[in-house]
Amino acid sequence: MSDGGADRLIGFHLDGAGAALPLAIVREVTERPRVVRVPGTHPFVSGVTLHGGVALPVYDLRRFESLWSGREDAGHRAGAADADRLIVCDWGEIALGLLGGRVDLVEDAGEARGGEGREDMRCGMSGDFVKRVLRFHGEAIALLDTDRLFASLGVPAAEPRGRRETGEDDPAGG
Amino acid sequence: MKLLMVNVGEGRYAVPADAVAQIVDPALEADFHLEDSEAVFRGERFPVFDLHAAAGERRGPAPVYLLLQGARRRAVVAVDGAESIREVSASDIAPLPAFIFARPRRAFRGVFPDGAGPRLLLDEDALL
Repeated sequence: MSDGGADRLIGFHLDGAGAALPLAIVREVTERPRVVRVPGTHPFVSGVTLHGGVALPVYDLRRFESLWSGREDAGHRAGAADADRLIVCDWGEIALGLLGGRVDLVEDAGEARGGEGREDMRCGMSGDFVKRVLRFHGEAIALLDTDRLFASLGVPAAEPRGRRETGEDDPAGG
Repeated sequence: MKLLMVNVGEGRYAVPADAVAQIVDPALEADFHLEDSEAVFRGERFPVFDLHAAAGERRGPAPVYLLLQGARRRAVVAVDGAESIREVSASDIAPLPAFIFARPRRAFRGVFPDGAGPRLLLDEDALL
């Protein structure tokens, strides 16, 4: 998946940590909808919500411990108020939602200087999931590596449209 | 399709009504009791699927038991209440993506809009 959209990004916060995604993959940003918890899912899946008649999986990256290797409180951050928005992303044929707060458009003004690779420069996030760190309005923002991140969340790789997702059988049993 | 609306702790779920052979209230049915991880009803033993444990919910003080009938076998599921039976169009039921589940076997197959928010549809085939 290309970052597309040149350098246009959408920024958001996860418990105070700045993160960004390519705007090209973002379909829309909404208020946090009613999310129903689904037993048996990965711990970082907050649940699903109905979005245009489709079951949209909602991910809470604050619960994705692998992302927060630089912080001791990884996995215990869910529940804070910094997740009042749902960022709906298109990933091939799949749509998924990410919870976040303080969502804003971000211009890629170049990489932050100094301490490259240091955990504090990656906003406490593991370098495995950070493509690079940007500086925007004086704040460090981690541009997430969506290929790696979504793959690690279990989201199938983005594929050309027209292929049906395995496991999405007729829920009515027909 | 006709769905039986049930609640399990704070969770709200639905079960295809066709799959429910009987709703057993132990307070009214003397010939029902639990023995180890099985339910004994009228002398017959049934496996019990613990939906409370699967959902991370605490069992209420007065559960009722759904006797589910599959093509090959029957099983019992404890719920905290059976609310109503409603007709829900199959087109209103959205499939759950398989990749969100931690294990291949999953207890739910869809979600549909309900008054107070989305409600999950139990996958009785996965239980039976």
